[in-house]
Amino acid sequence: MTSDRNPMKNAIAFAGATTTGFERRNTTRSQASWAAEACIDAMRQCDLGPKDVDGLCGSWPPANELQAILGLPEITWFENPPVPFINHVSAAAAAVFAGLCEVALVWHAAYRQPWNTAGSLKDPFRAAAENFPAVAPSPDTVMHAVGYTAWASRYMHEFGATKEDFGLIAINDRSNAARNPAAALTHPLTMQEYLEARMIRWPLCLFDMDVAVDGADAFIVTTAERARDMPLPPVLINAAVHGMVANNEEDQIDGLAHHGQHIVVDSLKAKSDFWIDGADVFFPYDGFSIIALAWIENVGYCGAGEAGEFMRQYWDAESNSVRLNGKVPFNPHGGSLSEGATQGSGHVREAIHQLQGLAGDRQVPGARTALLTPGGFFFNAQGLTLIRD
Amino acid sequence: MAEADEELLERFASHSVDRDNAAHFRGRLNRQLLINRCGDCGRWHHPPKPVCPGCWSTAIEPSEVDGTGEVHLLIRLHQGPPAPGVDYSTPYPVVTVELDEQQGLRFTATVEEGDIAIGQRVELDWIERAGVPVPIFRLAREVSL
Ligand SMILES: [Zn+2]
Repeated sequence: MTSDRNPMKNAIAFAGATTTGFERRNTTRSQASWAAEACIDAMRQCDLGPKDVDGLCGSWPPANELQAILGLPEITWFENPPVPFINHVSAAAAAVFAGLCEVALVWHAAYRQPWNTAGSLKDPFRAAAENFPAVAPSPDTVMHAVGYTAWASRYMHEFGATKEDFGLIAINDRSNAARNPAAALTHPLTMQEYLEARMIRWPLCLFDMDVAVDGADAFIVTTAERARDMPLPPVLINAAVHGMVANNEEDQIDGLAHHGQHIVVDSLKAKSDFWIDGADVFFPYDGFSIIALAWIENVGYCGAGEAGEFMRQYWDAESNSVRLNGKVPFNPHGGSLSEGATQGSGHVREAIHQLQGLAGDRQVPGARTALLTPGGFFFNAQGLTLIRD
Repeated sequence: MAEADEELLERFASHSVDRDNAAHFRGRLNRQLLINRCGDCGRWHHPPKPVCPGCWSTAIEPSEVDGTGEVHLLIRLHQGPPAPGVDYSTPYPVVTVELDEQQGLRFTATVEEGDIAIGQRVELDWIERAGVPVPIFRLAREVSL
């Protein structure tokens, strides 16, 4: 079923990427305000004016609202796919490739809301915008975000994994975030602090879950040809894929050895020009720590259940973070656990900055290729390979 | 007698009741755990779907299961949605149980706390919450060999 067909390979590029940075508090700004700031920055970074953008693809706010806010005169294609963010990347890239538009503005605005943090309700504007159900949902379920907690318990049962294995993901991310001015959480995290953290849903604690933030990322997606005329080095989309299996409900997936991530790995490998041995930097999604452990194993750095031991083997004491196989860092921006819950847009933006040489103190020397694996197990596993032009 | 649709939706307001799973929730009112089974190929599936995922037959029959099986997933909620009689100061356990009827067929519910762990044999019982029966697993009383 997996095909190596990939006519779009290297034909579409990111010309630029920007971020507002992220804050773990209820800011006094709207979600649209954050998106607008990131989008204006991305257009300026690429020397684009309002007439130069003809495609829009983002999460929130809806495309029509963003067009009106920015006064973009003519849009020929727009979409608002659900998160996570490779949905937006692949839709925009395919639209440009097909000729539905030529220059797409792509964005994701993260925003603290009741679905990701109860703390958002302290803001009367956020509380007023929420339509609460008359009756609270039953707790007798592992649907939605709870599903990752359930499979974390299964992971520990099947492989004898420990909480420390999960903690290494959180500590790696936090150490990396300290070098990222955009990150929401930058103070160092020790294993003892991790192990003593407030349990939310056993076996996952506060530091196993991404941090709800305000802020936004924005991107310019266009043809590689057009991107070469813009100020920054183009980053080519080598392949973008999605993966899902028939039994995709949270409590019904076949198991840890067969879910959406496995489809992504097979498909992305078949369509891409490189794999882990050729990847200079890696972005395993970490909306929950268990997701990152599974990605590290499923892309092939180590075997099933071995991610904890593998990370210990390649732990770099000086940076207090991992160098996979002694060289490759992962989530150098701090990931969703520390930069902020960006649904993958932060991972994509950081990958672009790494390949453009714009990553500041956390620059991976000479990085030319990036492997990204956003999303989880059930209905949102995704993959992206990027190459500097 | 079958509940009127409006009454069913009202009594299970904390669940997402729809045309495809209404029979399952009607079963709960009689303390019966009804799981969809295909009338043509015999395959079980859950959650309820309008078509058999194995053969595309629409001859779906909500059928009572024994309620016995093995704990496959286990979590303990230290916080969660408000529910009558649920106090998260004692972490609230939720299990996904692989039912004996078919490999990979799973049902998620709460469980009587104790030394519950993944891999243990459990059986189904019912408690009452907010005026409706709620399925709850308990450790199996005897080991069947
Ligand atoms: Zn059938």
